[in-house]
Amino acid sequence: MPLVKEQRSSPDSAAIIDFPPEASSLAIRGLSLAYGDKSALNNLTLRVPRHRVTAFIGPSGCGKSTLLRVLNRLHDLNDEVVREGEVMLEGEDIHAPEVSVAELRRRVGMVFQSPNPFPMSIHDNVAFGLRLQGGLSKRKRDDIIEWALRSAALWDEVKDRLRASAWSLSGGQQQRLVIARTLAVGPEVLLLDEPASALDPISTLKIEELIRNLKSHLTLVLVTHNMQQAARVSDYTAFLQQGELVEYAPTDTLFTNPRLARTENYITGRMA
Amino acid sequence: MLDSPPPTAVRRRLRQGRDRLATALITAGGIGVIAALLAIGLFLAVEVVPLFWPSGEASAIHAEALWGGGETAAEDATRHRWAPTATLTSGEAPRISLVPLAWGTLEAAAWALAIAVPLALGAAAHSSLFMSRRLRSRLKPTLELMEALPGVVVGFVAGLVLAPWVERHLAEVVACLVLLVPGLLLAGGLRSRLPARWREALPLGWAGLWLVPWLALVLAASVWLAPWLEALAFDGDLRRFLELRLGLDIAVRNALIVGAAMGFAVMPSIYALAEDALSGVPASLAEGAQALGATRWQTLWRVVLPAASPGIFSAVMIGAGRAVGETMIVLMASGNAALMTLNPLDGLRSLAATIAIELPEAGPGGVHYQLLLLAALALFVFTFLVNTLAELVRTRLRRRYRRLGGGS
Amino acid sequence: MKAEPSRRLRLPRGEGAGAWLAAGSVALSLLALLALLALLTVRGLGHFWPSPVELVELEGGRQLAGERVREVPHAGGDGLERLYRIGNQDLEGGRWAWVRLSAIEAVSHPADLVVVERRRWGQAIGRLSAFQGASGERIEGEAAWPALEARLAELGTLRDARDRLREEVILPLAGRNDETAARELKAAHARLRELQSAMAGGRLILATADGEGLAVPLEQLLGARRPNAMSPLDKLVAWGEGVWRFLSEGPRAANTAGGVWPAIFGTVLMVMLMSILVTPFGVLAAIYLNEVAHQGRLTRLVRIAVRNLAGVPSIVYGVFGLGVFVYGIGGRLDSWFFEASLPSPTFGTGGLLWASLTLALLTLPVVIVATEEGLARIPDQQREGALALGATRLEMLSRVVLPMAAPAMLTGVILAVARAAGEVAPLMLVGVAKLAPQVPVDGDFPFLHLERKFMHLGYHIFDAAFHGGDVQAAMPLVYATALLLVLVILVLNLTAIFLRHHLSTRHGALTRR
Repeated sequence: MPLVKEQRSSPDSAAIIDFPPEASSLAIRGLSLAYGDKSALNNLTLRVPRHRVTAFIGPSGCGKSTLLRVLNRLHDLNDEVVREGEVMLEGEDIHAPEVSVAELRRRVGMVFQSPNPFPMSIHDNVAFGLRLQGGLSKRKRDDIIEWALRSAALWDEVKDRLRASAWSLSGGQQQRLVIARTLAVGPEVLLLDEPASALDPISTLKIEELIRNLKSHLTLVLVTHNMQQAARVSDYTAFLQQGELVEYAPTDTLFTNPRLARTENYITGRMA
Repeated sequence: MLDSPPPTAVRRRLRQGRDRLATALITAGGIGVIAALLAIGLFLAVEVVPLFWPSGEASAIHAEALWGGGETAAEDATRHRWAPTATLTSGEAPRISLVPLAWGTLEAAAWALAIAVPLALGAAAHSSLFMSRRLRSRLKPTLELMEALPGVVVGFVAGLVLAPWVERHLAEVVACLVLLVPGLLLAGGLRSRLPARWREALPLGWAGLWLVPWLALVLAASVWLAPWLEALAFDGDLRRFLELRLGLDIAVRNALIVGAAMGFAVMPSIYALAEDALSGVPASLAEGAQALGATRWQTLWRVVLPAASPGIFSAVMIGAGRAVGETMIVLMASGNAALMTLNPLDGLRSLAATIAIELPEAGPGGVHYQLLLLAALALFVFTFLVNTLAELVRTRLRRRYRRLGGGS
Repeated sequence: MKAEPSRRLRLPRGEGAGAWLAAGSVALSLLALLALLALLTVRGLGHFWPSPVELVELEGGRQLAGERVREVPHAGGDGLERLYRIGNQDLEGGRWAWVRLSAIEAVSHPADLVVVERRRWGQAIGRLSAFQGASGERIEGEAAWPALEARLAELGTLRDARDRLREEVILPLAGRNDETAARELKAAHARLRELQSAMAGGRLILATADGEGLAVPLEQLLGARRPNAMSPLDKLVAWGEGVWRFLSEGPRAANTAGGVWPAIFGTVLMVMLMSILVTPFGVLAAIYLNEVAHQGRLTRLVRIAVRNLAGVPSIVYGVFGLGVFVYGIGGRLDSWFFEASLPSPTFGTGGLLWASLTLALLTLPVVIVATEEGLARIPDQQREGALALGATRLEMLSRVVLPMAAPAMLTGVILAVARAAGEVAPLMLVGVAKLAPQVPVDGDFPFLHLERKFMHLGYHIFDAAFHGGDVQAAMPLVYATALLLVLVILVLNLTAIFLRHHLSTRHGALTRR
């Protein structure tokens, strides 16, 4: 395995972070990951602040989506994946043997690139996760569903047709439904994998507004290929390239005053 | 903020346990089912072992006796014979050569393919190139229905309706075969001379449909013309002509009848796979040729067919596999006489039909029983190999299409 | 679009000969299919239509009466000869007569010719010369036919009354075991005897075309009609009755007459058992292959092997069923549990259970392949979506994946049923009977007799067409049976095609963004 064993960061990377370790929700240390013998992530170390929006940017194939999927262990599905290093959620190692994957995924929710509502009614989509947990009265469940749909700014649009098929919604509504579905199970962290890339500009704006509102009580991690979007919604931005963390800083700093030439080239090349 | 209560540890462990149990069950069940399926080959192989490695008893049979001549082979004519129960009936030593049966099987399959392959490939070419989309989306399920027709029904019609009719109307059959192609070409020629308005009413895209009544007409005309043809070319009596001049025996149920019936049964599956292969050829290839001024038929011949040839090969292989294993049609339409002739008007006996007829009577463990199991093993191995070959070719072809820029 | 009259550019005028031959092969296949279906429909349904009875006067004054069957060229040279079904097998020794057309002097359709269907000896054809009632009175001439019809109607009501008495009174009473029940049962039996005696007796006397007399006791009589005197409406009614009797009655006269009810029953029962066996296992194997197994080279090989098993000849499955289920497991079961009845085998011979198991094995690949296709068509996003909400694998499968794959599974099962319903070759080895006197379901414990042999529509076709004594007589019924089998299979396949179509349009909506 051509995995890098050393624990130090690569020499030409830079990280300026202005929050104390106890303010971080997720802490990644020395994370490397490979698909078979193809390396995807190389010795990443970074911390994600609680109740903030952190954006991962970088060219296609830089590993930003892979990193996101590690955070709620979706890679468990793939037998070929080889992983090293650790990820701590509120101080617990998420890969520890005693951790229940299902429970982890409840705490770390994920929203995918294209909307994937289940072929059920709107109501049942949101109730899906709640039913898995069990132990809720129907009344309480309906309250949570309403709260989740309101939090996702969807309630007013669908409150009269909760029994309609989720597939009858528009793409933007479907994506917000997926967010509501995830919120309903009460996650601490919400991972968003290019959540607006399949949507039209107006739906995109709605999603971005939603992201800004949600950070009052959630830690959000956003992967995006859209630089303006990262600049608009995130508090911190990490720039990844070829599976390595290049630069990690408060968003303002990274976009106005990048420390490294690689970052600057990428940003200006894309922003121009 | 409303929040769902944290699930209790007990419930969580329950869910996890259930999940593990289910996964284990699915794994065990899945592997079990697949093992049971694959056990078929194993069972047959184990059962026929005593044929070749006798365990002391006199049931030793040499491979030479199975595939070569009988050990009592005095004259050439009786060298390859299948008469495993002869001891009981006539005191002769049993003849256990599987060669005539294998011959019959292959002969039947060859005739079936001779009929099915041109039909299926023609139909596939037409439907992938010319046919209107709407008709095509209807034709495919129709031919699927044709494939689903039970062999026993096809065999019944072939053996008890078609065979006696053909026996009485040999000349009519020959006339139909002779006039079929000119009849079709005539349709094309006539159409191009029709006024444009009429021609638009008979588009090539729907030719598969409107040629049906025309073909019926052509066949009726050939039946009507048959006595004339018979008088002209065959001295007035085709049957006598065949028997005397060419020295052919004519059996009511013969290889040609089997071929026609089995061709009918096998044609849809060849068609389906060949059509997939042809319409899977990336459109860019065909468009490139057409942009250079080739007609669609030339495009098919020069560009599409070579590109799709592995797919067509595998379609034919699948058809061959089906034809070799088909039991009821051969059983009902072949006369089941274990002959080894090249004469298509003579009967035959196939491995599958022999198993169906004789296995219930052959007691388990006996030589006869083991021989029939050997026949089954031969069928199994043959079809399995043929299908695997076809599947591998198809997989490779699909990969190639994807490289060429995606199919349709 | 208008056709351009002047052609400046010499574009190729057509696609050439090849295109027409290709189109012709489509047409030829369709023609063959249509011809087959038309043949089955016309012959299968036409059999039940009361055909006219001809009275033929031959050279030399001989007469015969019968239904015209067909004409073929005379074997000995010129001219045609015609086949008549003349019935009266007990008199003439055969129910068929070949007549050279040149020998026919006159053909007429007298309205008073009667066709009688009998329990034994098949049809009888002649003029009704007399009817003798139960009490011995003899009615001759014109009045005989109305009297016979009246008596037959009376017999019908009596028979209904008897059946009702059996079903509704005697059977429930027989189950009870007390004083009043015994008394009532006695009364009911007395009434039954009364009915029986009211039904007994009577006969009719036919005069055949060449003047012989033929007596038919009414107990032997299944029906009588005068086809030449029937109106089209009468014939339609008779046709409906004929079809119904074909579907609801058992075979008679060595499978050359009567109906196919036991075969329908056997086929349906066997197919149902088979689908109960094949569905869970097929789905299980498909889920394992697609959702649980490590997707490596081995799984790929297994998948190809399973696909190929669908192409292995059905007779090979039959051999496996015979060797493993019947001789192996069945023989073992016999020596353990049914030793008393050895050497006559109980489970060690072909039977319902082994046939269903063999066909289940045969159709497993169909179900596995169809289900796997359904599973593969579900986007991974749906699975990840469920997992991301904290679902375990079981919850993901049972709540999201399987409901979405259900139509595909259903398609697979329907295709499997259609295939199993038409398969005959393996059944010849593992369990059909030419004539099964006992249906595998009855009132005796354990009600469903898995070890019994059963009748099957497909095998019935084969048997009646090839092993019957009088193939000529069996042909119409074989046509009808074949039509029935084809109809069942077509309906099943159409359902599967419809489902699959429905499925692909629904998933089209899913993949659309």
